[in-house]
Amino acid sequence: MKRSIHSWGRLGSVLADVDRPQWRDQIHLSPTPILPYGLGRSYGDSCLLTDGRMIETRSLDRILNFCPQTGRLRAECGISLDEILQFCVPRGWFLPTTPGTRQVTLGGAIANDVHGKNHHLVGCFGNHVPVLELLRTDGTLTTVHEGDPLHSATIGGLGLTGIITWADIQLAPIQTSLIDAEYVRFRGLEEFQQLSSESSGTWEHTVAWIDCLGKGSSLGRGIFIRGNWAGHGPLDPHKAPMVSIPVDFPRFALNRHSIGAFNSLYYHRFIGSTKSLQQHYSGFFHPLDSIDGWSRIYGSKGFFQYQCVIPTSMGIEPINHMLRLIAASGQGSFLAVLKTFGSIPSPGILSFPLPGITLALDFSNQGESTNRLFSQLDQIVREANGRWYPAKDARMNAGDFQASFPRLAEFESLMDPGMMSDFWKRMTS
Amino acid sequence: MNEAISSSGPSAYRVVVFGATSAIAGHTLRSIASERKASFLLIGRNETHLSDTTADLISRGAEARWITADLCDPLQDWDSYLKEDTWDLFLIAHGSLPDQESTLADRHAIGREIDINFISPVRIAAACTRIIERQKSGTLAIFGSVAGDRGRQSNYLYGSTKAALETFTEGLRHRLAPLPQASVVLLKPGMTDTPMTAGIRKGPLFSSAESVGALAWRAIKRGSHVAYLPGWWRWLMITIRSLPFFVFSRTKL
Repeated sequence: MKRSIHSWGRLGSVLADVDRPQWRDQIHLSPTPILPYGLGRSYGDSCLLTDGRMIETRSLDRILNFCPQTGRLRAECGISLDEILQFCVPRGWFLPTTPGTRQVTLGGAIANDVHGKNHHLVGCFGNHVPVLELLRTDGTLTTVHEGDPLHSATIGGLGLTGIITWADIQLAPIQTSLIDAEYVRFRGLEEFQQLSSESSGTWEHTVAWIDCLGKGSSLGRGIFIRGNWAGHGPLDPHKAPMVSIPVDFPRFALNRHSIGAFNSLYYHRFIGSTKSLQQHYSGFFHPLDSIDGWSRIYGSKGFFQYQCVIPTSMGIEPINHMLRLIAASGQGSFLAVLKTFGSIPSPGILSFPLPGITLALDFSNQGESTNRLFSQLDQIVREANGRWYPAKDARMNAGDFQASFPRLAEFESLMDPGMMSDFWKRMTS
Repeated sequence: MNEAISSSGPSAYRVVVFGATSAIAGHTLRSIASERKASFLLIGRNETHLSDTTADLISRGAEARWITADLCDPLQDWDSYLKEDTWDLFLIAHGSLPDQESTLADRHAIGREIDINFISPVRIAAACTRIIERQKSGTLAIFGSVAGDRGRQSNYLYGSTKAALETFTEGLRHRLAPLPQASVVLLKPGMTDTPMTAGIRKGPLFSSAESVGALAWRAIKRGSHVAYLPGWWRWLMITIRSLPFFVFSRTKL
């Protein structure tokens, strides 16, 4: 059935034939290009295919095998990380790594090779997927293992190497669902760097929030967030969201004053320089999942997320420069995140992380002025030999994509010729 | 595999499901498995789908096995399938929502639809009733539909089979009333997003198979007589039933 479908950035919807198979043997292949669609949490157009056939995978949500001794789980591609956690947390297991939201499917987590706050210790999601099954559009079903070229292409392969029908993940043992967390205020990126390097050995999870509107002496101020699993306590899974945003916010709701006030309050939310607390994993890893449909606060025109990584060798100056430009533009919002990636390589050919610092910021769509700012930021990332995250992207320059993912040709040779996405058309045409 | 959380022994909640691969039934079973020690016998047509559903339930800590059978075959001896065990729950979940126009134009198709939505569930329910009377306990839960509440131009063929099933179920409940440990539950989902409704454009009245499955399990536990899933469908259908015909006839329901 033809349906209009959109991604998380809500920048516009596309019309496509949407098929929702109930079983793995009901995935219909066709001569028309196809693309799998999970929960649509990619921000831009990597999960969309205008005028194509989209295979909505959400009904493929079965757990096919679970070993309670080893924590190895085999599940169909459409199960969400939310559902996996509901299942495994009471049994004393957790995802090997989790992105900032639970509302993504297993297939999506693999296809975008998502990362989390423990990247410096465990790498990406794709580092923990020893085997998966791939349905190619020629009708063949292949089991691919770590080390196989098709496995490396599928990890971070944006759903273009075939449909992942099921995958194994290696879960990580936990004693409790609680995190011992510490929130440390920092006044600039130098301090962020210092906190990041002193924390990387002793803290399993690290990330930082920055006030992207802070100028002058406030430039680069933020809160460093670090946590370790607590030693004992209950094994309670998370609860369903209590609040939902059913309609788009009006345009005036978010402006530099409301965001500036929020950021200032958030920065000063505790007294002293450090706050320690024990919190549930949900509040620590997935704070925004408690508000269903939060992206509607950006209004009906949607929003962009700009996420890039700057290699370690370039130091902190490129990030400083970007923050100065963003603060001066008065754009940007309260979702601004910094994280130092570790050096564990992902098996994924198109995987995004590099050893270095990643910066992710939300921008409501203000048309031309937002684009102008992005071009300036692009220039800095380009000069620093950095790269952009396809899962978040809706506007990257095709030349930049091709230059910053050097194994592109290798990937293209492994792609499924019957698959396509709007992102891929935009990057390669 | 699964030893640590496997459910075995006499205390497991024993369930037999007819039409186990229906989307709502699948979620009902999952709700049961996530809440208590359970042992399932799944009966359906498709081997691959039954084996996937079984794998899911076993992974979630239940015991489960499956057999394939043609649920509409009058020669099936359901009593003999079930006689080895005692059962806590009999769930009858199969059904078909046909394209009404093409079905009404085809004499054989009309019979097939009535068979799958009414005759087959009645045959199976009759066998289950004999077992409940022998055990003097057990819950029989059958999926009806809000479509059975008033004949409407869009789906009166399907609706009338479900209305017939409702009357049959009501009679069974009456018959089993002397047994305090027995109950008959009619589960009436409203519009639900499942393969059965794949060809229908989804509006705000649609619920997910997951939430309907969870509500079905809640109604079964309570031993509700007639459960609308979700509950607000009861009030909506009361309204539709009470519309005078001169108003009703102007609607396109």
